[in-house]
Parts: sequence; structure tokens; C-alpha cells
Amino acid sequence: MDKPLDIVILGGGTAGWMAAAALSALLPAGRRRMRLVESDEIGIVGVGEATLPHIKNFNDSIGIDEADMMRATNATFKLGIHFVDWGFKGSSYIHPFGVHGSAQAGLGFHQQWRRSLDAGRDWDIQDFSFACVAANANRFDFPAVGKSTVNSTYSYAYHFDASLYAQYLRRFVEARGVQRIEGKVRDVEQDPDTGDIRALVLESGERIAGQFFIDCSGFRSLLLAGRFGTGWDDWSKWLPCDRAMPVPTERCGDLTPYTRVIAMNAGWRWRIPLQHRTGNGYVFSSRFIDEDKARAELLNSLGEPLLAEPRMLKFQAGRRVHSWARNCVALGLSSGFLEPLESTSIYLIQIAIMHLLELIPTKGHDQRLVDEFNLRMDLEYERIRDFLILHYHLNSREDTELWRYCAAMDVPDSLRRRIGLFRHSGIVEQYRHGLFTPPSWLSVYLGQGLTPEHYSPLADAAPLNRALKDLDEIREDIRDRVDEMPKHASFVARYAGAPQVDDRHLHEAEVRL
Amino acid sequence: MSRRVTSVAVVGRDVSLWLTVVALQSALGRTGLRIHAVDLGSRLSRADVYVALPTLASLHRLLGVDERLVLDACRGVPMVGQRFSNWAKGAPPFMLAYDDEPPPGGRLPFLQYWAKAALEGLRVGLEEFSLGSGCARLNAVPLPVDENAVLSASYGYQLEAQAYAELLKQLALRRGIEIAASPLCGVGITGDTIEGVELADGTRIEADLYVDASGREARLIGGLASAHFESWSEWLPCDRLLAASAPRMPSLPAFSQVSAFHGGWVGLFPLQDRTAVVAAYSSTAAKDSEVADLAGVITRVRISGDAVVSDLGPGARQSPWLGNCVAIGEAAIAPDPIDGVEMQVTQAGISHLVSLFPATAGKSPEASAYNAAIRSFGSNLRDFQAAHYLFNRRYDEAMWDRVRDAAPPPGLARKAGMFRARAIIPMADEETFQEQGWAALLTGCGIVPQGYDPRVDVLPAEAHVEMVQQRLRAVAELARRMPAVDQFIAAEQQMPLQAGA
Repeated sequence: MDKPLDIVILGGGTAGWMAAAALSALLPAGRRRMRLVESDEIGIVGVGEATLPHIKNFNDSIGIDEADMMRATNATFKLGIHFVDWGFKGSSYIHPFGVHGSAQAGLGFHQQWRRSLDAGRDWDIQDFSFACVAANANRFDFPAVGKSTVNSTYSYAYHFDASLYAQYLRRFVEARGVQRIEGKVRDVEQDPDTGDIRALVLESGERIAGQFFIDCSGFRSLLLAGRFGTGWDDWSKWLPCDRAMPVPTERCGDLTPYTRVIAMNAGWRWRIPLQHRTGNGYVFSSRFIDEDKARAELLNSLGEPLLAEPRMLKFQAGRRVHSWARNCVALGLSSGFLEPLESTSIYLIQIAIMHLLELIPTKGHDQRLVDEFNLRMDLEYERIRDFLILHYHLNSREDTELWRYCAAMDVPDSLRRRIGLFRHSGIVEQYRHGLFTPPSWLSVYLGQGLTPEHYSPLADAAPLNRALKDLDEIREDIRDRVDEMPKHASFVARYAGAPQVDDRHLHEAEVRL
Repeated sequence: MSRRVTSVAVVGRDVSLWLTVVALQSALGRTGLRIHAVDLGSRLSRADVYVALPTLASLHRLLGVDERLVLDACRGVPMVGQRFSNWAKGAPPFMLAYDDEPPPGGRLPFLQYWAKAALEGLRVGLEEFSLGSGCARLNAVPLPVDENAVLSASYGYQLEAQAYAELLKQLALRRGIEIAASPLCGVGITGDTIEGVELADGTRIEADLYVDASGREARLIGGLASAHFESWSEWLPCDRLLAASAPRMPSLPAFSQVSAFHGGWVGLFPLQDRTAVVAAYSSTAAKDSEVADLAGVITRVRISGDAVVSDLGPGARQSPWLGNCVAIGEAAIAPDPIDGVEMQVTQAGISHLVSLFPATAGKSPEASAYNAAIRSFGSNLRDFQAAHYLFNRRYDEAMWDRVRDAAPPPGLARKAGMFRARAIIPMADEETFQEQGWAALLTGCGIVPQGYDPRVDVLPAEAHVEMVQQRLRAVAELARRMPAVDQFIAAEQQMPLQAGA
């Protein structure tokens, strides 16, 4: 076996601690030595309070107990995202973590649904998604496992306090012997020939030498951008939002098992129900609204009392042209930023870690591994980017400048082709790699008002009355089963109720930003 | 106002034609779609053979075609893979078997554990851990085990080409497909649009959509204004094909045998009553008469009857769906005959045409989706075939030296590079061969992984050794439970798997 790899992680936010947790749990102890450098003086952004179902795999694979994690992070369950006013004023749809139709239905299901519209039925595709119906009823239960019943057709994620999640991972990691070093980086030593990073020099003068560096320094991208001068691919012409104004409010009455994102004049507003409070925020484009107007629009729209004053974050949509250079890989915000509309921030950290685990060098620099990692991440970023652009582009609102701009903008060819195919015949192409499967695309297309002009001719091979009967039965089956599910709030309280703590203390972490 | 496609004219011959019309009828017949078949007449000789990957069995099930009928009518022989000899001077032959991918989830691919063991000195090749190869060594046919089995393999077929084409034609007739009574005499074309096809008896067939299943001739799509065919001869250098026959093998093997020689390769494809002999070669390196003599010498069989020689030109059509014309089979992608993928090309075209069957007549965006899928399918398949040639180790032979010096296509370079670096095979969309197939090919080509996924080391050393040995035992034990080819053919119906020891 080769000698252990000396790994240094810079930054202790969500990305840093997730990387430390996964690498310490999944790489054999004899393979690596790992240290994490962070400074208590630097706040963390704590990206994404809403997650995707993949995070459950992540937690399971490193041995995290779900209920324990949920209690520690004030978590609730998430079955999808509720979009309001997207596409057109008055729209309302859920992008569910699940398929439409029965477990056996497959990709042809929505074609039968589209066919039923021509046959005079007037029903929403969401009535055929178990996750959508359960979410709308504010109910939650674990999906059935090892069955082919309709209550096996979904998965779930969490809403949690990302800062608390990072802290939770920190405890998990420190218990596994990973050393945390307090300090700020003053200098970075590089090999004069190869450019490889040799060591981080802290303000205290301490020198942290290593063979492999993971840059989790956030927007500053201290190593990847700061040391390797890695360029930035700007996507703001497609994703014009560049500000986020988060503000916590009191816990809402109904604990919804979904995130809500509401389209606003110059962007959108999120609403994330946690056990102890509600996370809110306005993501907007400074090209289309000024800060004061945005603040007023946000405060006007909130129902519950504020727990703190709104803050401001600046960003730009895009990514570093590559995430890995020489002996340094960037994870999370140091490698790119995509707005949290589809809760992809933590996913992007996770998938980068998964690719890294497979490709981490074991004997010195190997450019083949670097190229492969960068290729894979290109695909991840681009597919998510296209899906996000779809939300903006597919709109007929015309009421404000942002929405007019987005409806008229030129979108990437890859996306234009996908939209064209769906518009014509409702076909959603599947890809082997990358996030968002056909049900996700379907939800957004239909939810934002794009009903296919035609359905696939294949649908006509089944007799119409039988197809309609199947649709009726699935809808009823879902309704009946959802009626028997517990309410989300009581399920959370029973399964993973967090101890009651003083509210001021709880959102301190967020204020540190 | 747009309207549905109500009629399709399929112009072609042999399996591409008959399989297409039967599949279209099966998927869309009930919707009232009218299907016209225009038969250009068979180009098959008595010497020809169809080699099919395991996916053909799935298609047969879908179309309701009985396996026993196919084997009987086409003197068919099931086979679990192909054995390649003489692709490297001095190296032993390697087997490329049809192992199934394990169910998702679970531990890292076995390949990773093998790569580590090999780096630590294990002398047992990857092939010994393949159930398909295990069956091939015993001349056995791998029956399905169960859905969640980690070890399972599938079989393809070698079929008498004329008989199989005829079987499908009869099926088309029985299913009521209209077959034109007169030969084709002309195709009406304006720009990229087919206006109609004319038959010798003066009838004119007009349809909403035309399918070109005419093979390399590309009788319809080849005449369209924007038609463009891209050659792959840089990586697939054979331009001549010879088909012949030899006597039946005394005991039927469960694999085809493909041997390289200075000008190309010769394959033996056992059938129930004869052995089909196919040679592909470069006219720059070997003459037809020379190959006819050499084929028997190389394969140690007695060639009987006449050998039939034809041209080969591997490559692909840039847009296999152009205007109102969809190319299927060799009209879209002309592969090298190696690896037995000709049928697979036809099947992929049919499967994409069915799932992207245009919602309306006239210009529709399904065309570009079809083109993207078929292009991706084609280049992955080409890369697989090209690996045989590019990674050859027959030094000092002009044709082999030349192709070895060619730069590999980017997809193949990436796969070979990652396999060498870490025993990883980055898979793309629309792959014919999955990870295990690629791994068998690349190890067979002499590419040895220099590293592996570091997570493999989580397993302690003894447990790792035990796991590797256990797999070896499991493969041997399972292969022994599979019926021999002769036994499988003689059985009246689908055979059950024998109980384990």
C-alpha cells in the first residue's frame, strides 16, 4: 500500500466539514492523514437550508443517525419545492421528489395524462404524484421500501440549519481524530516549478504542510482562484440574480413538508420551515431593483414576526472554469455559485466529494485524474445551470423588467433543444449523469404553463377508456393513502423533536455571517 | 395545421427492413398507423451469418418471437461471448463475455478489488472472475439466475442469416403488414424531402415518414441534399469482407472465435449445421484470393463451397434523420463486423425511432433528439471496436502499425486513460457495452490498471484475499450448473437452472 496522503482542508463551513466527514469515514485510515484549518473569526455562509434527497445517502454512507442529526439541526422533512407565481402570476406547482403515476408507470405516464386532456379531462398532473399530494396535505411518512405500491414512488430531503449541520459534522469528524487547527492563512507556499501547494502559513506563523489541499474557503476561493488564478465563467446573463437578503421569522403555524419559493418583482423569495423558526430571504438582481426597494418588498411579503434584521449577501452566478488544479481541489462556493432556487448548493458539494473519493491521488500528481474530475464537474454544473435557467426563461409574466428580460433572453442551445422537444410532444430526454431526472423537468414545464402541443403517438396504443380508468385509480389510490398519513408537524415532533432552546441563541449562528 | 403521422414507408432489405416493420407494427399498429414495406430484395448469401448480442433475446420477447422457433429455424447457436486470438504477438487469447452488470448499490465494482490484487501480484486474470468466460470455457449457456444476483451473464446468438431474415419476413406477413408487390424503381426527392417512392409496376407510394433500411446503399437518405456520411476508416481500417462456410464443429463451443492475421481478422461462428467463416481485412494488406486461402489455414477449418466477397466502409451518417427520412441499421451506422454489433445498430435505431416517433407529420424536433442519441450510440460503439485495432500489439505489420499510430477518438482516450490510471471506465450516454464489457476488452488489449479506487483499502488484507477467492469459487460453481450448448439446443423448451451443489 502507498504511504498515507497528507490532506489539508481549508475552511470549516458546510463544504469543509462535509469533506472532512466523508474523507475520514470512507477513506481507509492508512490512506490519509487529515487536518482542517479554519478561523472562528471568519463567518460561514452556511449555504442552503433546504437540501435534496441525495443528502440522505451521504449521511447514511458515513454512518450518521438521521433522527439524531435532525434533532441537532432543528430539521424538518422536505418532499419538494412549492413554486408560486413562476411562469405566470397565480401559478402554483410543486416540484416533487418523486415520479408521477404508479411505481410501474414509467416515462409514458405523463403522455397518458396529456392524452386525457384531449379527451376532456381537466386535472392537474400533480394529483398523480404521491409526493405532491402528501406535500399539499401537509403530511409526511417514510416511503414504503421493497414494495411496488404508489407510496414507494418518492424520496425526501431535509430543511435544516446549515450552520448547525456544519457544527454537527464537526463533532462527528473530531470524534474520528481529524485535527482542527484554529487560524487564518497569512501565506501559501508553492513549489516554484510545478506550482503545487506545499504549505499554508498561518498568522500565528504556524506552517501547515500537506500533499493535497481542499479549498473550502468560500467565495474568496483562496487557493484555487487566489493561487492558481483559475478563471471565472460568468453565467449572470442567464441567471441575473446577484443578491440575497436572508431574514429569519418565527416558526410558522403549519410546518410544511416543502420549501416555498415565490416569484417576486426582481427575483424570488424563499420560505423554509424549521422546527424553531422559518428561514426567509429575497434573491434578487441588482440590475432590476435597488436594495431599499428589495428590502421593502421582502418585509411587506412576510407574515410572521421577524427574529432579526435582513442582511445582505452578494454573489454572481457562475463557476471557476475548473475545480481542480495541480494538488488543490475546490469544493462548494470556492468552485462556483448557483442560486439556491433548487437547493443544489449542498448537492454540488456532495457530488464533488463523491467524485473526489474515486479520483483522489494516491501517488503524486496524475493529470488524468484531474481532467476526469473537471470533466465530470462540468457536466454537473451545466445540467443544473440549464435547469435553473428554465425556471426564469419559461415565463409569460411581462409585469416587471426582470421577467421580460428572462423570457426574451437567448438560452444555451442544450436547453433550447430540450424545451423545443417538450413543447412539441412532451418528451423529456434522460441523461446518464447529472442531477434532475425527467419528473423534475416535467414538473417545471407543466407547472410554468408549458403544456405540450401533442402527446406521443405511442400513448394511443392503449385503449382510451382503460387509460382513463388507470388514471382515475391512481389518483384515488394516492388520495386514500395520503389521508392515512400523519401530519408532518406531529411526525417531526415524535421522530426528531429538537429540545426547546432560547430563540436568540438559535439564530446567532446565522447572524455571525 | 399539423396532423399525425398516419403512414410510414419502410424501404430496405433483410433484417433491417423486417425487424423495423414488425417493431413499428407492434408499438404503433393499434394506433392505426399504416406501414408499407418496400423490399429491395435480399443481399444475403448462404454463407452469411448474423451475430447478435443478448439484447436480441429481449427484443424477441417484446415482439412475441419464440426463442425455440428462432434457434430451430435459423440453425442458431447461443453464445456467451467472443474469443480473440493473435491480436498481440505471443499473448494468449482473451474472452469478451456478456456478463450482466450487478444490481446498483452495494460495494465498489469487483474490478476495483481485482485491480488491487493484480497490483499486489495476483496472477489470475480478470477473465477468470467473469461468469460469462467461465461458461465459455465449459461450453455452457448462462441461464438467468435471479434479479438480484451479483453474478449473472447473458447469451447472444449466431444465426443463419438467410433463414433469420426469412423468419422475420414471414412474421411481418402474418401480422398483416403491406408488402409492395413490385420492385422499387425510383425515389422522388426535393432537397431534404422525400416526395414518394415509385415501383416498377407504376405504383407510387407516398407516406408521412420514410424509413431507410436499405443498408450501406442508403437508397433513400443517401439522395437527400444534406446527406453526409463520415468515414471511420482511420480507426477501423478493414474495407473488404469475406463470408464462407466450413463443416459443423463436432462439439459446439459457446463462443465465437476471432483471430487476427497480418491483413485483418477471421472469425468462426458456429451454427448447428455448419460453421460460418467471416474475414474482414484491408485491401492494402491482403488480396481477396489470398484471404480465401488463409482463412482456412488460420482457423484450421476446411472451407467448403464458394466464398463471397464484398466491400466494407465503416462510418456513420452525420444526420441519420434528415427531413422526413429516418435511417436505421447500416444506412445510419455502418460498423466494423467485429464484436457482432450489426444487429445492435438496427435495434438501437428501432428503439429510438419508436420512443421518438414524431408526434406530427412534417418537420419535428424529434429528429434532432434522434440524431443526438444515434450519434452518441455510434461513437461509443465505434470507440469499442476501434480499441481492438488501435491497441493491437502486432508489430512490424504495415496495417497494424499504421492503425496503432492513429490518435484514438476522445471518448476512447478517456476510457483507456482512466482504466490505466484507476481501473475506472467513464461511461457515456447510449453505451452498447457496459463497464464489465469494456474492462474485458481493455484488459484483453493489454492495458493494465496502475491504480485503483482508494476506498478498496477499507477492506482488510485478509478479507480482500478471501473476497477475491470467494468470487473465483462462485464463478466456477455457478458455471458448472449451466447446461452445455448441445444440451441447450436439444431441449424442447426453456431449461431450468440446476440446483447448486
